[in-house]
Amino acid sequence: MALLEIRDLGVSFDTNDGVVNAVNGVSLDLARGQTLGIVGESGSGKSQLAFAIMGLLAKNGHARGSVRFDGQEILNAPPAIINPIRAMKIAMVFQDPMTSLNPYMRVSDQMAEVLVHHKGMAKSEAVAECVRMLDAVKIPDAKGRVGLYPHEFSGGMRQRVMIAMSLLCRPELLIADEPTTALDVTVQAQIMALLADLQRDFGMATILITHDLGVVAGFCEEVLVLYGGQVMEKSPVDPLFGAPSHPYTRGLLRAIPRVDQHGEDLDSIPGSPPNMTRAPKGCPFAPRCDFAGEDCHDHLDPLTEFTPGRWRACNRKLEEIA
Amino acid sequence: MLSYIAKRLAIAVPTLLLLIIISFLLMHAAPGGPFTQERALPPQVLANLEAKYGLDQPLWRQMATYVWGIVSDFDFGPSFIYKDRTVNEIIAQGFPVTLTYGSLSFVLAVAVGVTLGVFAAIWHNSWLDYLAVGISIGAQVLPNFVMAPILVLVFTLWLRWLPGGGWEGGAWQYIVMPVIALSTSFMASIARITRSSMLEVLNSNHIRTARAKGLPERKVILRHALKPAMLPVISYLGPAFVTMITGSVVVDIYFSTGGIGKSFVDSALNRDYAVMMGVTILVGALTILFNLVVDILYAWIDPKIRY
Repeated sequence: MALLEIRDLGVSFDTNDGVVNAVNGVSLDLARGQTLGIVGESGSGKSQLAFAIMGLLAKNGHARGSVRFDGQEILNAPPAIINPIRAMKIAMVFQDPMTSLNPYMRVSDQMAEVLVHHKGMAKSEAVAECVRMLDAVKIPDAKGRVGLYPHEFSGGMRQRVMIAMSLLCRPELLIADEPTTALDVTVQAQIMALLADLQRDFGMATILITHDLGVVAGFCEEVLVLYGGQVMEKSPVDPLFGAPSHPYTRGLLRAIPRVDQHGEDLDSIPGSPPNMTRAPKGCPFAPRCDFAGEDCHDHLDPLTEFTPGRWRACNRKLEEIA
Repeated sequence: MLSYIAKRLAIAVPTLLLLIIISFLLMHAAPGGPFTQERALPPQVLANLEAKYGLDQPLWRQMATYVWGIVSDFDFGPSFIYKDRTVNEIIAQGFPVTLTYGSLSFVLAVAVGVTLGVFAAIWHNSWLDYLAVGISIGAQVLPNFVMAPILVLVFTLWLRWLPGGGWEGGAWQYIVMPVIALSTSFMASIARITRSSMLEVLNSNHIRTARAKGLPERKVILRHALKPAMLPVISYLGPAFVTMITGSVVVDIYFSTGGIGKSFVDSALNRDYAVMMGVTILVGALTILFNLVVDILYAWIDPKIRY
C-alpha cells in the first residue's frame, strides 16, 4: 500500500468573482521514502494541492475527492484526526521563511512546542532536542542561537530553522512548498543540498513543490507536471528531461536558460495560465499549445500510461508532437 | 531600555512646558475673564481683584509666576472662582472619583471589547460575528448623554435597583451606572479594532505554520495570534485610558459624581484659569506617561522593537 493515495482531488474557492477551480481531479500515489516533484507555473494549483492534503486551505476553500495517508482518509478530516497527523506524520516547509515563522516567539519556544504538544516532553528536554535538530540542519552555534527571535536570523538560516522544526517528530512525509523560492540563488543550492541529505538520512517520503525544473532534476525520483490544476504528465525524472511527452513540459524545458545557447533569445511559452474562474472544458493548455486542434478545446483525454511508469494527458499522439 | 525610559521622561519636561504655554495663551485669548459677570463689577473692585490674583501683570510674568509656583512648591494656585479652595484641593477631591469609575470602565471595556472582537474574528461571517459587529456599532453610535438617561430610566425609575446619582465615597451602587455609561463606546471601539486586527493575524503565514504543527485551534489563537493581534489595540488603549480616568463631563453631571470631568468644563466656562490649567496639565502628564507605557508594552510584545 502506498503511503499517500490521492484520488480525484479537487480544490475550489468561493470568491467574489465566482468559484475558482484551483485543482481539478488530481490523483497520485506516493510510496514510503519516495521523492516526488510537483511542477507548474504560478497559479497551476500546486500549493493549494499541498494545503488541501494538510487541511490548511483558506476558509473559502473546499476540497473534494480522497486523500488517504497510511490507509486513513484525511481529506477534510476533523481536528481530532488531522491534528495528531500534522507535524507527527506529515510535516510541511513553507515558501517564505520570513513570514512563516512566528516573529513574536523565540525559536526555542516555537520549535519546542511541537515536541511538548505531540510527545508530551518537558520543555527543557524539548529544547535540547531542538538544538540537536538545529545542529542537524547545520546552523552554527545552535545552542547559543536557539533562544533568538526569527528576525535575528538570515533568510537562509530561517529556512533551516523551518526545516528543523518540520523534522522534529521524524515525519513519514515532508511536503516542501517552494522551499527556496524566497531565497537567493547561492542559498537555494545549500538548502536543496541540505534537504537531499536529510531526506536520505531520515528516509522520509518527500513532495517537493516548485516551479523550478532544475531543482526537481537534482532532487526527485518522479515528477508530476501540473497545469490549470490538472496533471499533464507524470514520469520518472530522467525520461521526463530526456524526452518530455507533453507540449507543456516541452515548453517548460525550453524556457530554462542554458549557458551553451549564448546570445540567443530565450524561449518562452506564449500566453499566460488560464483564468480559473472559467475553467476550460477541454485541455487547459490548449490556448497556448502549438499542437492544439479543435478537439482540444472540447475535451481532454484522461491521463494514460503510454510506456511503463510514464503517464500523459494529451489528445495528440506522442509522434504527432515530435 | 532604562535609558530610553529616562530619555522619554526627560523629553516630557519641555513637552509639558510647551503645553502650558499654548494653553495659557489660548485661555487668555478667549474673551472675558474670571470676574466678568452679567452685572459688571465697579471698576475699582475689578482692579483690586485683578491685582490680588496678579491678572494686572503682563502675560509673560503671570506665566512665569505660575510655572515657578509649580516647580518650587508644586502649587497650582488658588481657584479664581471658589475663593477658599486651591487647584490642588479640587483635583485631589475630584480625581479619585474619576480615577475609580474610569479604571473600572477601562477594565470592563477591555474585557468585553477584546473578548467580543476575538470571537467575532474566530467565527468570521457567522451570526456571532454579525451580532458582535451589530452590538459594537450600536454602542458606538449611542452617545453617553443618551446612554446615561436610559440607564437611569431602567435601573432607577423602573427597576428601582440603583440610586440615580451621587457618589457616597464610591459605594458600588453609585459606581455601576457611571461605569456602564462611560465604557460602552470604548468597548465598541476596542471590539472593532480587536476584530479587524485578529482577522488579519489569523490570515498570516505564521498562523498557518502553527496550524500545520497540529496544535488545536485554541492554542493557535492563545499562543500565536492573540499577542500580535493586541498591538493596534494597545496603541488605542493608552490614550483611551487617560480619557477614561480623567472622567467624562456627561457622566459627572448626569450622575452628580463630583468628578474632575465637570470641573474641567466648569472652569473653562467660568474662565477659572487656575483650575483649567491644573486639569490640562494633569491630562497632559497622564497622556505622556501612558504613551510611554504603550511603547514599553509594544517592545514587550514585538521583539523587533528595541529602544
